[in-house]
Amino acid sequence: MKYAFYPGCVARGGAPELYDSALAVMERLGIEHVELTKAACTGAGVLQEKNLKMGDILNVRTFAMAEQMGLPIMVLCSTCQGVMSQANHRVKRDPEYLAEVNKHLAAEGLEYKGTTSIKHLLWALIEDIGLEKLKETFTRELKGVAMAPFYGCYMVRPTDALEFKANPTRETSIEDLIEAVGGTVTDFAGKTACCGFPILFINQANSMKMVANHTGTAKDLGADAMVTPCPLCHLNLDGYQPKARKQVRGDKADLPVIHVPQLIGLAMGMSEKALGLQKHIVSTKELVRKAEALPTKV
Amino acid sequence: MPETIPTPTTMKVKLKVKRFDPADSGGKTWWQEYEVDIHPDSTVLDSLIEVREQNDGTLAMRCACRASICGSCGMKVNGSAKLVCKTRVIDVAPNGEQLTIEPMGNQHVVRDLVVSLDTFFNQINRVEPFLQPDFVPEQGEYTASNASMENLLTSMNCIMCGCCVSDCTVLEVDANFIGPAALAKAWRFTEDPRDGKREERLKTLNDEDGGMWDCTRCMKCVDVCPKGVAPMDRIMELREAAIAAGNTNTSGYRHTESFYNSVKKNGRLDETRLAIDSAGWTNIPRLLDLAPIGIAAMRKGKLPPLMPHKSEDHQKVKDLYKSVEDEA
Amino acid sequence: MYEHDVLIIGGGLAGLRAAVEVTRAGADVAVISKVHPVRSHSNAAQGGINAPLTDRGDDWEGHAYDTIKGSDFLADQDAVEVMSTEAGEAVLELERMGVIFSRGEDGKLGTRAFGGQKVARTFFVGAITGSAILHVLFEQSLKLGLNVYEEWFVTKLIIEDGVCRGVVAIDLKSGEMHTIKAKAVIMAAGGAGRVFEPSTNALICTGDGLSLAYQAGVPLMDMEMIQYHPTTLARTGILMSEAARGEGAHLLNAAGERFMEKTAPDYMELASRDVVSRAEQTEIDEGRGIDGNVLLDLRHLGRDFIEQRLGYLQEVSVEFLGIDMAEQPVPVQPGMHYIMGGIKTDVNGATNVPGLYAAGECANVSVHGANRLGANSLLDTVVFGRRSGAHAVEYIKSVGAHSSAQEDLTSEKARLQALLDRPRGERVATIRDDMARGMTKGIGVFRDQASMEGALENLKNVKSRMGGFSIENKGKVFNTDLMFGLELEFMIDCADAVVAGAMTRKESRGAHFRTDITERDDKNWLKHTLMYKDDEAENGVRVETSDVNITKWEPVKRVY
Repeated sequence: MKYAFYPGCVARGGAPELYDSALAVMERLGIEHVELTKAACTGAGVLQEKNLKMGDILNVRTFAMAEQMGLPIMVLCSTCQGVMSQANHRVKRDPEYLAEVNKHLAAEGLEYKGTTSIKHLLWALIEDIGLEKLKETFTRELKGVAMAPFYGCYMVRPTDALEFKANPTRETSIEDLIEAVGGTVTDFAGKTACCGFPILFINQANSMKMVANHTGTAKDLGADAMVTPCPLCHLNLDGYQPKARKQVRGDKADLPVIHVPQLIGLAMGMSEKALGLQKHIVSTKELVRKAEALPTKV
Repeated sequence: MPETIPTPTTMKVKLKVKRFDPADSGGKTWWQEYEVDIHPDSTVLDSLIEVREQNDGTLAMRCACRASICGSCGMKVNGSAKLVCKTRVIDVAPNGEQLTIEPMGNQHVVRDLVVSLDTFFNQINRVEPFLQPDFVPEQGEYTASNASMENLLTSMNCIMCGCCVSDCTVLEVDANFIGPAALAKAWRFTEDPRDGKREERLKTLNDEDGGMWDCTRCMKCVDVCPKGVAPMDRIMELREAAIAAGNTNTSGYRHTESFYNSVKKNGRLDETRLAIDSAGWTNIPRLLDLAPIGIAAMRKGKLPPLMPHKSEDHQKVKDLYKSVEDEA
Repeated sequence: MYEHDVLIIGGGLAGLRAAVEVTRAGADVAVISKVHPVRSHSNAAQGGINAPLTDRGDDWEGHAYDTIKGSDFLADQDAVEVMSTEAGEAVLELERMGVIFSRGEDGKLGTRAFGGQKVARTFFVGAITGSAILHVLFEQSLKLGLNVYEEWFVTKLIIEDGVCRGVVAIDLKSGEMHTIKAKAVIMAAGGAGRVFEPSTNALICTGDGLSLAYQAGVPLMDMEMIQYHPTTLARTGILMSEAARGEGAHLLNAAGERFMEKTAPDYMELASRDVVSRAEQTEIDEGRGIDGNVLLDLRHLGRDFIEQRLGYLQEVSVEFLGIDMAEQPVPVQPGMHYIMGGIKTDVNGATNVPGLYAAGECANVSVHGANRLGANSLLDTVVFGRRSGAHAVEYIKSVGAHSSAQEDLTSEKARLQALLDRPRGERVATIRDDMARGMTKGIGVFRDQASMEGALENLKNVKSRMGGFSIENKGKVFNTDLMFGLELEFMIDCADAVVAGAMTRKESRGAHFRTDITERDDKNWLKHTLMYKDDEAENGVRVETSDVNITKWEPVKRVY
């Protein structure tokens, strides 16, 4: 399987460990990819607040580029996934609108015909490669490691743009992955709620409450780590966890938050360094220690 | 010849309902399980009515029209708010799974599945939800295009069921947020050509604590609204309109503007710049607030570069912006 | 101390319009409703609201005649004249309040065609007209700071020396009972659809207002006139607006024929509702239906049109039956929908009990006579809601101090406690189901002596069990169980009046169609039936008759 790879802005910026661990995992799996270096930012829903059409044009441009290459797009970020899926959904439903968008792309010699699909690495692994094939690359079973899934809003809503009906595994993708690596799922009500990142700079108090509630609850329920497919969620849940936990619950940031490729990498037996786990604000040392203490498969 | 299996005329529905009686239980809630046999095409409401009528008359809930127009029967099914009169059992429990039924969230529970409507209607009231025209025609009606009236149908379709308020992730942490329903209602008035207070409404909701900028864009309200009102989309439109009307005094605006400009300049997002712009270059306390996280990130080797990454051939993105902005 | 100049029971269109009027007149007013106003059943009206706009070439006499003809000449023509002449302003006023009516090319209010009228004079908002108007009136009530006793259930009217002086009600949220004194009470509590099963009506339409007035000595008029709406959705009974037919939908039998040709070659699907329901029932009874339904076909209208003008209908069809109306016809059948009968009032909403008014579906002025035209109910509510409010304001000027009596509260509390204390008996729901199914069976689209006697027998049986039902919920907070018991008592009163009226009227007229007396008999029966609650009378109902008011239009044979 070959993909047009779109890492997104944060994987190249504030969460470089995501980029590194994703590349390492894809290499181990033999997933071919070509990076869309000319593609612009998706807008993350923020740009769209000022000008929805501008956001759609930027994303459709990316789709057209991938379409020209004849490749599906793979993303590393829930927000990229959601924003792109919504843009795709809008233009595919409204040929008049698509024509308007294409008018602006003509100058660059691009025209979107509506055939590009966008998949998060996690979805690609489950749907295109299959969990069974993935498990063949694992060298250890993360038995006894409890993990709380945190999807990130843009990966689970709205379900029509995200094509949940046609792909029912998307609803439980992180939980399925946790089970595939041999871990146990720490289920909690906030797993599909908001991490608070979008309002971090606007209403920090509320943002901190969300971070504290989710990480605190998961920890109370016994999770060893939280797993998220979204680097924006990660920035908040990891980066701001110390502040949030202190401010809201008066306790310490004790729940490491890891990216999806890092979880897979741990199961594949990759090192802490290779996965960038030492770059997190909330220490992953305990999690790494627990994982490394588990028996390796021969 | 194989025997034909007759199509079942009833279906077993298993329910686990959260109960509460202020007079009885000292404030404690408890779970009660029920099982009923009903027609296979039944809705969750049908099964609850069957419980109430044949099983347990003490169960309190609101319902009236059974046709998704009165808005009475909002409640949580398996953790998510739904209008139960239009939720078919086979859709939420395809294999006869037990359904968990709870009262709507973010609102005070009066009894069992009945919540107080005060939270909801206090929010609605905050947006001055009635037409405030500049003038009233002495005779006849206002003249308005059909398109402008049909545009308002999206908001008029709101039946005030409270599902969006129930599941709003901001209301979960902040009761001061005006909420998705009220903002969708306010949108209707900003879009109504007969209303004379558009600028004022936009400004108030822009400036207000807990106003339009407090939405965290989680889409739960879009997901749970049974009538396609899509409150979050309406809130985004309010933001776009507020900015276009010149409301540039919020960090929400600065955040959006910074993002927009960053992509224009670099094709990519410059995160460090975004953080500083959103806080405001002269907002010293806010900037100082950012410092610890910046330092922590730097120590871990993940502070975004001060000279931002640009996408390859990002001039093309600049050109694209120009072509869109020229068109406007 | 709960005291008001005017107390309005019911927060639907009639109640809120009356409240707006009373507030504008400067009197102190409150609305009391067992549900939040926006939950009122007015929100289920879909198709539109009629009004002849005389400055645009329509003529009020045309609307009046269509209404009177639709009523099979039982409507009081002076009342219809009032409604038709005030209709234009009533609708325009709603638009000025903010209702998002559909527009024509010129930006002025647009219309659609509707049943029983050759002129298109129905103003609408998609297929949610009732909801759209109700929500705007609610907005106006917020603007005016209207006092609402929200989720308070009225158990009794206070009548002192033959004058209405207020109500006794339970605050459902606390279970506490209170008296609310008022110098005038406007009953706007809606219809009684739940007396029948199935019905398009909400579960809250239990005839509370009809029964309360009836118990207070007000006659219920023409109660046998029960409207069966031709297009209620199969299996669910949900209303599928007449607007579909107004916009061009066809009714087909199993053979794909537009069977309305047989009975109404001129108006076809837009004949009056009783005519259409009977035609459908005949097709079904004679074996040309499909599983007890006929088909409503909208395919030829096109998807875009359906979604724009009839969006709510498509939503219901898809969500409840999984049928896409742009691709397939929808199965429908006649379903009980509206009660033309009701509390007898004059054109100002006044009843024979001073201080007690009535407006909306619970009232019978009579503008609808033996059959109501579609889109006239919404009109009725705002015209007579306004008039009741205005008249009540005048009336209270002559009223002195509030009543000082307290005994109503004591006896009511005892009565309700006795219900709660009953030993384990039959469930309210079981009795209600038996009553309602029996009513539909005996007083259906077609009825005859035998079927009505069956309904009477069933009702007698049901009444004999009324002393034995018990209330499982003994608590105070939000005790809907107790409320259902009280509502059942209200429904029995309504059923009594319906059966009595049906068995008295020895002719067929409008919705009261007897297969054993199929002709209309103007000589003997151009009259209203009046049912009075009377324990001394046979079956507890004393029936009298009164003349129909005729102004301009002599009754003729009704042909569509």
